Amino acid sequence: MLKNYLKIAFKVFLRRKFFTFISLFGIALTLIVLVVAVALWDHVFGPQAPEAHADRLLTIYFVHAKGPRGNTNGPAGYAFHDRYVRTLKEPKTVTVHSIFLPVISYRHGTEIKSWVKNVDGEFWQVFRFNFLEGGPFTSDDEKNGNRVAVINQTTRQRFFPGESPIGKAIELEGRPFQVVGVVSDVPMLRFTSFADAWVPISTRKSPMYKTEFENGMFFSTILAKSPADLAKIQEEFKGMLTRIEYPDPKSINHLTGRPETLLDTISQELCNGYLTTAALIAMILFMCLPTINLININVSRIRERSSEIGVRKAFGASSLTLVGQFVIENVVLTLIGGILAFVGSQLVLRTINHSGWIPYAQLTLNPRIFLYGLAIAVFFGLFSGVYPAWKMSRLHPVEALRGRES
Amino acid sequence: MIKHLLKLVWNRKRGNILITLEIFVCFLVLFATVVMVGYYANNYRQPLGYEYQNVWIVGTSLSTLADLEREQKDVMKKWTAAFYEALRNMPEIEAVSTIGQAPYTYSWHSAGFEYRGKHIDTTVNEGSDDLPKVLNLQVVQGRWFDKRDDGLAWDPVVINQKLARELFGDEDPIGKDISNKGATGTGGSADLAPASQERQKRVIGVIADYRKDGEFSAPETYVFTRTVPGIDRGWDFLIKIRPGLGAAFEETLVRRLHAVNPDWAFEIDALTQLRETRLGWQIAPMAAAAIVVSFLIVMVALGLVGVVWQNVSQRTREIGLRRACGAPAGSIHFQVLGELLVISSVGLGLGALLVVQIPLLDLFGFLTTQVYMYSLLASLAAVYALTLLCGLYPSRLATRVQPVEALRWE
Repeated sequence: MLKNYLKIAFKVFLRRKFFTFISLFGIALTLIVLVVAVALWDHVFGPQAPEAHADRLLTIYFVHAKGPRGNTNGPAGYAFHDRYVRTLKEPKTVTVHSIFLPVISYRHGTEIKSWVKNVDGEFWQVFRFNFLEGGPFTSDDEKNGNRVAVINQTTRQRFFPGESPIGKAIELEGRPFQVVGVVSDVPMLRFTSFADAWVPISTRKSPMYKTEFENGMFFSTILAKSPADLAKIQEEFKGMLTRIEYPDPKSINHLTGRPETLLDTISQELCNGYLTTAALIAMILFMCLPTINLININVSRIRERSSEIGVRKAFGASSLTLVGQFVIENVVLTLIGGILAFVGSQLVLRTINHSGWIPYAQLTLNPRIFLYGLAIAVFFGLFSGVYPAWKMSRLHPVEALRGRES
Repeated sequence: MIKHLLKLVWNRKRGNILITLEIFVCFLVLFATVVMVGYYANNYRQPLGYEYQNVWIVGTSLSTLADLEREQKDVMKKWTAAFYEALRNMPEIEAVSTIGQAPYTYSWHSAGFEYRGKHIDTTVNEGSDDLPKVLNLQVVQGRWFDKRDDGLAWDPVVINQKLARELFGDEDPIGKDISNKGATGTGGSADLAPASQERQKRVIGVIADYRKDGEFSAPETYVFTRTVPGIDRGWDFLIKIRPGLGAAFEETLVRRLHAVNPDWAFEIDALTQLRETRLGWQIAPMAAAAIVVSFLIVMVALGLVGVVWQNVSQRTREIGLRRACGAPAGSIHFQVLGELLVISSVGLGLGALLVVQIPLLDLFGFLTTQVYMYSLLASLAAVYALTLLCGLYPSRLATRVQPVEALRWE
């Protein structure tokens, strides 16, 4: 029976090519936009190297400090992370790392801008980078202030075209750093781990960072022993906040913050924690217009098929059967549109990757996104097929056979 | 005639309601896009208030160290003064100033000011005496800071025209005292606001409107306070270089500053570059939205053509009958397009009714009436044009119906 439905469906699609084209155009366009949006979302928030084990990671991004002199929001200082986060009992490992900062180097008179991140030795245990050459630096390097650096693929290409950089010196801010490792590029939108070059915190020019407390430029990321431990860690962190001894209580005497995922943080900063809900609402609103359009076209199409419906009804097909048939036809159409959309979004994503609009973007259609896309397509097909099918099934057989509309 | 059209549409209301809905949603989507583009385009037309060409920011690394302010203030001041002198003595540099938050950067300070019970929250920034030379600021009334402001018992401030209008109305703002009241705020990587809030502020000059956040930002109220390099804080320098100097000079500049003190780090950014990045990030989502919306509109148009076409071919008999009774092609055109116009008017009417609530309820305060009205008219006109365009081909088909064929049908 399904085979029959499919056969009829294809015959109908081919009969009115203009309508089929409009439907497919609408479906493919809608799905391309949705798939690209989902791919971007996944690119920023999804579990990807070097954060493939994201379900065990929590980061303290922003803290909110208050006191008699006003308030300040932003990354906390090194002293806070060192004294209060590193000493937490529950986490497996804690790493303290700075935000990425631009650094200018000059090579043969041309300017090279690199993003540099100051990290400790534990950074390389918490995040799992893909090392192409060499390896990470250690906690001892950090302790001794050794000028060593791990660089990414692109930086290797910029500074050492065609040669291995291991053991060689790279000049950052007028000082040489010995390259110990090369990792694959991390996209800039992987906000937590991204950099062009990673160097020990202790190599900073000024040691002042050690005294920064509530207002600085450091994050700390916690690796939990298991995903189940995350709640315990958040609990311990909350308890710790109440026991802080503030270095200058006349300025700042209250601190709030939470170890969380990037999604939680951004959601909190942008729309009070409802980012996912807002995104879903935006998606549904966006789908509104294409859906109405598709329903309209479908309603028009069935009018044209009224004689076919009349015959089937006259021979005893129930309304339910006809609804089923029409919905299946529509889902088939959306799936074809879905295939077109995947080809289309592949092209769009490749264009974004090559445009350099997002540095080091590697937007890809991984199986996860493919599944999301498929789910969206089927939902779309069902949603836009049900109303016309219901309308169709209400045609009176005699009227339908005579070619009148309902 | 029109009554008859309305009746025709009403008789087929079941079939028409979906088209009405589609036009309604299409109008809303288009209006939202046009308003967004109109808002930014309108901002872009406003004067910026400064010139960014050949201006560089020279940032010093200590600008992120809040604690140093307390502990080693004197050391900081000494070096700020030394760098300032070094920059001033370079022949390639035309003017040097310190600045709190440079144009196109992402940090800001805000503070509340009061004059005769009127309270306004405004953006505050700091600049030194030569800032007008670096940014080519237009002083429209009074004067900018200079040596005469040394050692005063009150703080001189320069405000922009927008603030002068809003705070003083028709009064002459020069020489008026304003008080610092209410919450201060900080954004981006800016430090806590300077602690001199207690002192009386007196307006000594008015500059043309100033929009630190660049071409696409809305006009804002603005207050400048004075800094003196080496006496007050101010660790970012803004320099105007001679035209035609590129990256090569940047390297020289850093080397010369390192010669003054090798322990500091310097970061140099050209305003043109910051501007490009900032505008790029603002344009990209707009461009993406505009592309998506234009495809949506094409989709809607194609859909409408299909639906109207189908409608017309369903009504072959009706049209054939009219033709047989002597209706000319023009009146068939009129009927098809007229019905479409009625349907879209209903959809657009509903849409306009909804959209009119925005200024009535003052939902989006940042929209000016002008932008709003233009967007509304443009979207209405565009959707009408679109529906008519979609009706043209099907209505041509309808006029080609042969009366004999049509009557014989069934």
